[in-house]
Amino acid sequence: MSVAVKLLVMFLVFAGAAITIFLAVAYSTHLPVSEQHDVQQRGYAIRGRWFLALVLFLIASFAISIPFYPYMSAPAALAPARKVPVIAEQYAFIMASHLPVDKPIIFEVTSRDVNHDFGIYNPRGHLIAQVQAMPDYTNYLRVIFHKPGQYTARCLEYCGIGHAIMAKTFTVGGKQ
Amino acid sequence: MMPTSDNTGRRVMVLYMGTGLALTASMMFAGLMLRASQAGWMPMSPGQFYAVLTLHGAVVIVALMLCGMGGLWFLMRRQTSLSVAAAVIAYACIAAGAAAVIAATLFGGFAGLYTFLAPLPFHGSWPYWSTGAFLIGMTLITIGWMAWCMQMLGAVLRAYGGALGALAWDFVWHRKAFDASGKPLPPPEAFPALMAGFDGMLAGMSAMLLGVALIVRWLDARVLINPLWAKNLTYFFAHTYANLIIYMLAALIYVGLPYATGRKYHTSAALVVGWWCSMVLTLTNYFHHLYMDFVQPGPFQYLGELSSYLSAVPVTVVTIFSALMLVWRSGMKWTLGAIFMYTGLIGWVVGGIGAEIDATVPFNVHLHNTLWVPAHFHTYLVGGCVLFAVGWVFLCLESRSIRRTRILVRWVVGLLTFGGMAVFLMGFYCAGAYGVPRRYAIEPAPGPELAKIASIGAAVMIIGFALAFAEGVRLRFGYPEGEATIRMTQEVEA
Repeated sequence: MSVAVKLLVMFLVFAGAAITIFLAVAYSTHLPVSEQHDVQQRGYAIRGRWFLALVLFLIASFAISIPFYPYMSAPAALAPARKVPVIAEQYAFIMASHLPVDKPIIFEVTSRDVNHDFGIYNPRGHLIAQVQAMPDYTNYLRVIFHKPGQYTARCLEYCGIGHAIMAKTFTVGGKQ
Repeated sequence: MMPTSDNTGRRVMVLYMGTGLALTASMMFAGLMLRASQAGWMPMSPGQFYAVLTLHGAVVIVALMLCGMGGLWFLMRRQTSLSVAAAVIAYACIAAGAAAVIAATLFGGFAGLYTFLAPLPFHGSWPYWSTGAFLIGMTLITIGWMAWCMQMLGAVLRAYGGALGALAWDFVWHRKAFDASGKPLPPPEAFPALMAGFDGMLAGMSAMLLGVALIVRWLDARVLINPLWAKNLTYFFAHTYANLIIYMLAALIYVGLPYATGRKYHTSAALVVGWWCSMVLTLTNYFHHLYMDFVQPGPFQYLGELSSYLSAVPVTVVTIFSALMLVWRSGMKWTLGAIFMYTGLIGWVVGGIGAEIDATVPFNVHLHNTLWVPAHFHTYLVGGCVLFAVGWVFLCLESRSIRRTRILVRWVVGLLTFGGMAVFLMGFYCAGAYGVPRRYAIEPAPGPELAKIASIGAAVMIIGFALAFAEGVRLRFGYPEGEATIRMTQEVEA
């Protein structure tokens, strides 16, 4: 199961919980009517707890996510790695066709014309990494391919009417 | 205080919301065409596909913006001094701009997309004039929007005693002194109005700056525009516009749900502080659009994630929670107006969950610019904003009509609209989870198969909305003769 499919499951769980609450509240309109004052007294107590729980959850999620940011740290940038220039242009990627397995690679991604996005799909079709390709700038993307096979780079930023055909396949491992 | 039998104000609201909903309906058909094309059921060339996609995105934003502007303007006219002439001038600018955008895309084939990221508008296969028409059209829309924001901001500041009064500063920090002063306390709907006026002006200035720069570049190809600067401005104004649409329409909840439930909704300290937070966070969470721009200064990426997370707090803790408290054991009658408005809250929350997941940087690596993105924003635009606007229209109709909607009709409309919507949206979410890129005229697998399912869902949803429209017309013809007041607003006022 890819990371994105796990995210879909997580989304469905959260969305399902939210919808259940809404349905329960909707159902309550068929129960005997309560005075608004009574509802507010109980509701404000729940709201205080909900506020605290939500803020703590969100701040904890933020803190946990930081170590997984894809941006290169200074030590990672200085560590030995194979540099692979990637030049994007309407509607092609100019880059090497064979890359090594289990070795750090730093893609140096730029564009000759408009904004593109260099999205890497593994042999199973999962989107595993991406970075924008911008004119006048070079973005550095560090990747280690652990599995050999045929990978595909697709453009993920709309770049013109040939956007959907902008792709490049490359092999990892095997013949260098 | 404005009289509640404000027929002029009502006509302005009808002009804005009528145009907005008519454009929204036509763009639903355009959207269905796009999904059917991706499904392989409707042949379109890539040029046609992207021109229609450009049209769809730009016009939907304008359409829902008009709905929010019209609704909020009507509500605030009950409390403040708002000029009809100024509202009509703003409307005329927006209508002229929308006409230019429609001409540029449908007749000129402009396909630089509604985000028109520089320098793409100048690197396309479409004619030179269509680029200019599109940029001038978007600039006109921004001028109309800023004219409306300026009017709204001025009216709110005048009515509540300047910035501190409109922010209810003393109400929160110096409660006793505020109560003794006898100053007017802004009602709940004044806070979205203040936010739309203030944040909308800032977003409008950003859009104007970018729009003028692009028009100069269109006139003189020697002009250079920094792509990162342009991208920041683009997402700052576009994200803020999109957020303000739902916040403006949320004002309708503050009036509509109390009417539907027969309960009261007052300004509280929690509501005020919540809106202060939303005013700030809406301006800073656009950074999440640039997570994959690794050259963007690092602190902005952290700020983008934290700000996006925290923007959920005031929405769920204040507006949504308060709405649930209003409905809880209220004995609310489930008219179509109440059904649409309440379900809109669900769309807002569910779309927000999808957005928060995407706003997490490590997750964004796997979801950025996949169909997950249109999944979540369609959830809160179609499943939230459109439902708030339609719900408001129905509450107005139901408050005046002597006719009532039969329970069978409510069930059929609900099942078709929300069932179709769920299928349509899940087509996007599943495709996003399988890494299908967004904005592909021809999608890799499993995109086309999911597009087929989504197209069927969208068609069913449109049938549901069409039935609701027919029912709305029936209710409209049930007005008692000679009635000239809006009963609902009178009751809320009382």
